[in-house]
Amino acid sequence: MMIKFLKKYKYLLISLASVAVVLLVWYLLIDVMKMTKSSVFPGLEKTFRTFIAKLTQKKPDGATLGQHLLESLKVCLLGYSIGAVLGIPLGIAMAWNKWCDWLIRPVFDLIRPVPGLAWTPMFILIFGIGIEAKAMVIFVNSFVACIVNTYTGIRQTDELHLWVGDVFGASSWQKLTKIAIPTALPMIFTGLRTALGGSWMALVAAEMLAASKGLGFMIQQARYISRPDLVIVGMLMIGIVGLVLDIILQKIETMVAKGMNAQ
Amino acid sequence: MNKKQKNITELICAVVSILTFLILWHIGVKGELGRLMPGPLPVIRMFFATLFGGTIGSRTMIIHILYSLIRVMAGYFLGAAVGVVLGLSMGWSRLVEAVFSPLFRIIRPIPPIAWIPISIIWIGLGEDAKIFLIFLASFCYVTLNAWSGAKNVDPDYLRAARMLGAGKRQLLFTIVLPASIPSIFAGLQVALSSCWATVLAAEMVRSSEGLGWIIIAGMNNNDMVQIMTGILAIGLVGMLLSMIFRKVEARLCQWNKSGS
Amino acid sequence: MEIREKENRQVKVKVSHLTKKFGDLLVLNDISFDVEKGDLLCVVGPTGCGKTTFLNSLTKIYDVTSGEILLDGHPADPKKDHIAYIFQGNSTMPWLTVEQNVAFGLDIRHVPKREKQELTDRYLEIVGLTKYRRYYPKQLSASMLQRVSIARAFATEPELLLMDEPYGQLDIELRFKLEDELVRLWEMTGTTVIFITHNIEEAVYLGEHIMVLTNKPTTVKETMRNPLPRPRDIAAPEFVRLRERVTDLIRWW
Repeated sequence: MMIKFLKKYKYLLISLASVAVVLLVWYLLIDVMKMTKSSVFPGLEKTFRTFIAKLTQKKPDGATLGQHLLESLKVCLLGYSIGAVLGIPLGIAMAWNKWCDWLIRPVFDLIRPVPGLAWTPMFILIFGIGIEAKAMVIFVNSFVACIVNTYTGIRQTDELHLWVGDVFGASSWQKLTKIAIPTALPMIFTGLRTALGGSWMALVAAEMLAASKGLGFMIQQARYISRPDLVIVGMLMIGIVGLVLDIILQKIETMVAKGMNAQ
Repeated sequence: MNKKQKNITELICAVVSILTFLILWHIGVKGELGRLMPGPLPVIRMFFATLFGGTIGSRTMIIHILYSLIRVMAGYFLGAAVGVVLGLSMGWSRLVEAVFSPLFRIIRPIPPIAWIPISIIWIGLGEDAKIFLIFLASFCYVTLNAWSGAKNVDPDYLRAARMLGAGKRQLLFTIVLPASIPSIFAGLQVALSSCWATVLAAEMVRSSEGLGWIIIAGMNNNDMVQIMTGILAIGLVGMLLSMIFRKVEARLCQWNKSGS
Repeated sequence: MEIREKENRQVKVKVSHLTKKFGDLLVLNDISFDVEKGDLLCVVGPTGCGKTTFLNSLTKIYDVTSGEILLDGHPADPKKDHIAYIFQGNSTMPWLTVEQNVAFGLDIRHVPKREKQELTDRYLEIVGLTKYRRYYPKQLSASMLQRVSIARAFATEPELLLMDEPYGQLDIELRFKLEDELVRLWEMTGTTVIFITHNIEEAVYLGEHIMVLTNKPTTVKETMRNPLPRPRDIAAPEFVRLRERVTDLIRWW
């Protein structure tokens, strides 16, 4: 009975053991043996305490973990959704209409290779360090990723499907809405997910450069006052939120684009 | 329209499009906006003036570019090498997967940029810290793709090879590795652009040379021309990197149609 | 029967001097023929002889180089005429369920909801896919997919149905079954059908008329009436004789 259980869950147990060993080594080296100063590498216990405390405390950076999180989410989702709302239709237009493609793409190709966060200094000079500069950085990020993926998606439309539309006498608009856009949907979602990941990353960078609130600001502040425990809490928070956002989008995708990945 | 006419029309459109953009920019900054933004001419002038001759900070543009590029390359190749090995092993052996996948899953969602503060605390933000950050950026994407590539190898290939009497080692090198290559390349491509963004962020946070430094120093001196010159250089190098990547990929993955 | 005889004299499709070049390559060379209303015309020709090009020109997927295709006396236009096309290979939309796929043509033509539902239900039933209406194409076999395409085509109640080697990739048993299904639907609806195939037996089994094409550049070699009564027996001597006659024509390729 026991052996059967062990066999069945062998790999799960190994995984658990692996995480446990890492935590244990961390605990032993830092908390018990005090290998380094806690201002360099925090103990496991201390990090955990910091996390609990930060949920309610505003020290040392003026906001609780939840407030930082909300601020970051607000800016990120604002810039992201504007980018998606403008980027997806533009991507469709460029892929569907050759004049749009020929006239817009050259300029777009100029802007595309610049990583979104490289615009941060420029937007800060123009808009100051308020929400606008950061939202603009996120916007550019999301806008570009949405255009690129939507464009590729529409271009993947199967010629045969368009012929089917032609033979039934479909108008160009019908072919777009009933054939090309459904074809592109999975790619559009890939774009939305890439954009969200990129936006989240760009936001952290922007907040580290200029902000007075937000997770990026929090870890940067914690670094100034040598609080690695707080930095790690912030990093894990950033990671978890990024992951949750991605999972939410994935769920929406499986709901919307059913036939494309149903098995 | 035949093909030749089409190409010509497309070229004309491209020229018209870029010229319109530049002219609009040039005219746009004449008025109120001009106090915030320089026109295209000063930016292009500064770019060429500083490329080899004049300096930004204490170095010419080309040296700044080289600084950023060398950092990127060091971290990128290191991360790619480790990522391919770890990813393939995870896809190949359930044991390796069981040991490393939970740790990998914890680390992966944290954007490399979020490691900047902790790496400053740990190792300062010298060259090694920057390379560490870029390493992370490259490592995560490459590992993930090598892993899923190796896991999704068509079991029929493996069965066929086993029937022909291939050993474990042969299976790994003749089937799993080649079959994962398209996926690995996809990872390498995303990793490259992510590394490029990461080096800029790292240089923006702390450094005294490189393209990231150019734009952040421009911000600190209120020098918009310098920022935009930096952005221009960033875009050009980014474009060059992805062009080179596509050439290499096309050469190496000729058999794979999606590689085009 | 008598009504059908009378209808038969009406010309549904009139092709005159149809020529198609791709660049310098002459694919179709001055093809002229008529198809009567309610006919089931089987076009046989060697693989790669431009059969598909020929159908695609009919539906304006390709522009013709010269010549004319008239449907009921006016130039064919899929936007106005009710044409349906069953493609070689799978042409179902992977993002639509079986039911939505069958309704696709009706959607394009803005058929009112109730009527659309009725037609979809009826043709789903006829091709035996009612049980699978909520499935996605990925979950179906090749023959079921081809039945979805058939139902999709018939649901629009086309005046002209074009089929491009629709059963080429299916195994023999399914092919027989779907061939019978086609004959049944054709008899039921009285649609004009042009059926392209490289399989001579299939052509003799299905066609009211058989048209033999030559190799590239393609012209019409011969058109013949197929007088065999239905249901046809592929082992009957008359059937074999006709099949051999068509085969003989093709030997000259």
